[in-house]
Amino acid sequence: MADEIILETRAVRREFGALVAVDDVSIKVQARTLHSIIGPNGAGKTTFFNLLSGNLAPTGGRIFFKGRDITRLPVHKTAHLGIGRSFQITNLFPNLTVLENIRLSCQALGRDNFRFFQSHRRFKQYEERAWEVAQQVGLADQAPLLARTLPHGAQRKLELGMILAPDPELLLLDEPTAGMASEQVPELMALIERIQEAGQKTVMLVEHNMHVVMGHSDKITVMHQGAVLAEGTPDEIAANETVQTAYLGGLYDLAGKAAV
Amino acid sequence: MQTAISPKQNSTKAWLKDNGGMIGLLIFLAAFPFIVALFEGQPFTEVLANETGNAKFLQGLLIEVFILAIYAISYDLILGITGLLSFGHAMFFAAGAYFTGIAFKNYELGIGATLVGIVVLGIVQAILFGIVLPRVKGITFALVTLGMASMFHIIIQASELAEWTGADVGLQGVTTPDLINTSTERFRLYLITLMVTFLVYLVYRRFVDSPTGRVCVAIRENEDRALMLGYNTFHFKLAALILSSITAALAGFFHTVHQPIVSPNVAGLGWTVAALLIILMGGVGTLSGAMVGAAVFRLLEFFLDKQFGENANFLLGVIYVLLVLFLPFGIVGTWRAKRFRTQS
Repeated sequence: MADEIILETRAVRREFGALVAVDDVSIKVQARTLHSIIGPNGAGKTTFFNLLSGNLAPTGGRIFFKGRDITRLPVHKTAHLGIGRSFQITNLFPNLTVLENIRLSCQALGRDNFRFFQSHRRFKQYEERAWEVAQQVGLADQAPLLARTLPHGAQRKLELGMILAPDPELLLLDEPTAGMASEQVPELMALIERIQEAGQKTVMLVEHNMHVVMGHSDKITVMHQGAVLAEGTPDEIAANETVQTAYLGGLYDLAGKAAV
Repeated sequence: MQTAISPKQNSTKAWLKDNGGMIGLLIFLAAFPFIVALFEGQPFTEVLANETGNAKFLQGLLIEVFILAIYAISYDLILGITGLLSFGHAMFFAAGAYFTGIAFKNYELGIGATLVGIVVLGIVQAILFGIVLPRVKGITFALVTLGMASMFHIIIQASELAEWTGADVGLQGVTTPDLINTSTERFRLYLITLMVTFLVYLVYRRFVDSPTGRVCVAIRENEDRALMLGYNTFHFKLAALILSSITAALAGFFHTVHQPIVSPNVAGLGWTVAALLIILMGGVGTLSGAMVGAAVFRLLEFFLDKQFGENANFLLGVIYVLLVLFLPFGIVGTWRAKRFRTQS
C-alpha cells in the first residue's frame, strides 16, 4: 500500500499558441504524501495544476487519478471524484458568510441540489459538516461574518476549509501561504500537515516559500520552463547542482537553512 | 415551571413574527377597495357590483402595480439573485401577453388551457436563452439576449402576421373570459392578481432559500468557484431562467386580461429597462424590493402625470437619479443594510 499511486501524469502538455507552458510532464504522486511542485515564476506550476483540476484541458498527454483517465474531465466533475483545489488568488463567495461558503462546498457533492422548494436549512448534514470544518480550520468564531470582511490570513484558512469540506482524497494547494504575514505561515502549515496526516490525504503543494517546502514535503518536483528539472526528497533536491544553479541560486544549503 | 413549546408551534410563531407585516399588508390591500368606498361614501354593495367610482379606478391602478411587481421580481431572480444580465426580459413578458391575446381572440381558448400554454411558452423561451448560456457570459449574454428580444419585437410587428398580432398597432379588442373580465369583474380580478403576486413572492423566497437557490447566489458571487466546488452551473442558471420566464409570461397574461389590448411596445427595450429601473429602486437581489419598486414606479408615474401633465417625465427622471444617488442599494436594500449594521 505504501507505493500506491493516486495521481499519475504521462507526458502532459499544454500549449498557448507558440508558448509551451507545460512540456511533457510525467509525474507520479504517492498516496498520503505531501508532494511539492517548485520552480521559478513562469515555470508552469499553476498551469499544471489547472490541467490536473480540469480548469484547462491539456493539449497532449494523459492524466490518471486512482487509475481512472481524467484527462478530458471538466472542472465541475473532478470535484466529484475527490480532488479539491485552492487558488493562489483568494477565490471565495465574498458577500456570503464564512459558514455559507463552507456549507455550499459541502452541499456541492450531495444529492439535494435540485430540491427547489425546500429550505436549505432542512438539510442539516451540510450545516453540521460546515461547523465541523469551520472549527477544524479555526474559523468557528468568524462563522457569521461575510467572507470579504475577513483579514487575509483568515481568508486563506477559509479557502482551505472550502476544499476540505467535501473530504477530498487529493488536495491541490496553490500557494496557500501567498500574501500571508510570515508569522502566520507556520500555523497554516501545521494545519495542513495535521489535515494530511490525520485524514490520510494526499497533498500537492505549489509554494515559493523554501522553508515551507523543505520542511514539510515528502517529495519535491522542480519545474523549469514547463518541464521537470528534477525530482526527489528535500535533501536530494537541495543537493542537486542543476537545481541549485537554475532555481535555488545557491541560497539554500544542505542543512535545509537559508544561506543568507 | 416553564412549559416546553413544541417545535412546530414555535416555528409557526416565529413565522408569524417574521411575516406579520406581510400578512397585514395583504389584509389591508384586500380591504383597500372598501376603505376607499368608506371615504367616498359609496355603499359596499357597489364595490362588490363593480360600479364606476374611485374604488374601482384605484383597484385598476393597483392591478397594474401587481402585474409590474410580478414582472419585476422575475427579473430580479435572474439579475439580482443569479447574476445574469439579460437585456431581453421584455420578450418573456410580451410573449406571454401576445400568447394570451391570440389565445382568447383567435382561438377562444379557456383560462386553464391558456395558462398551460403560458407555462410551456415560459419553458421554451428559457431554453432558447439557455442555448447561448454556456457559450457567452456577462455583457455578451446581455447583448445576445437583446438581439433575440429585438428579433421578437420586429417579428410581432411584421405585416404578414397582422391576422394574429395586429402588426404595428398591436392586439386590439381582446375579449377576455367573463370570469376575469376587468370591467365587469374588477374586484375579483383585483383579488386574484393580489393573491398571485403574494404567491409568486412566497414561491420565489422559498426558491432562493432552497439548496438550488443558494447555488444561484453562489454563481452570482463567483461562478468559477461554484464550478470548482463541483456544481454544473449551467443547470442552475437554466433553472432560474425557467422559473423567471414562466413568471414573466404570467405577468404578461394578466397584462392582456387587464388592459385588454397589447401594444408592441411591451416587447421593446424600454420594457426591459422598466424592470431594471424597478429593481434598482427597490433593491437588487432583495425580491421584496421588486414589489416596493413596482409600487413606487407606477404610483409615482400616475400622480406626477396627474399633477404636472407633460412635465411629469422630466420630474420622474430627476426622482430616479436622486433615488439611485441617495439609496444606492435601493429602498429595501438600504433599509436592510442599515438594520444589519445596527444589529451587529
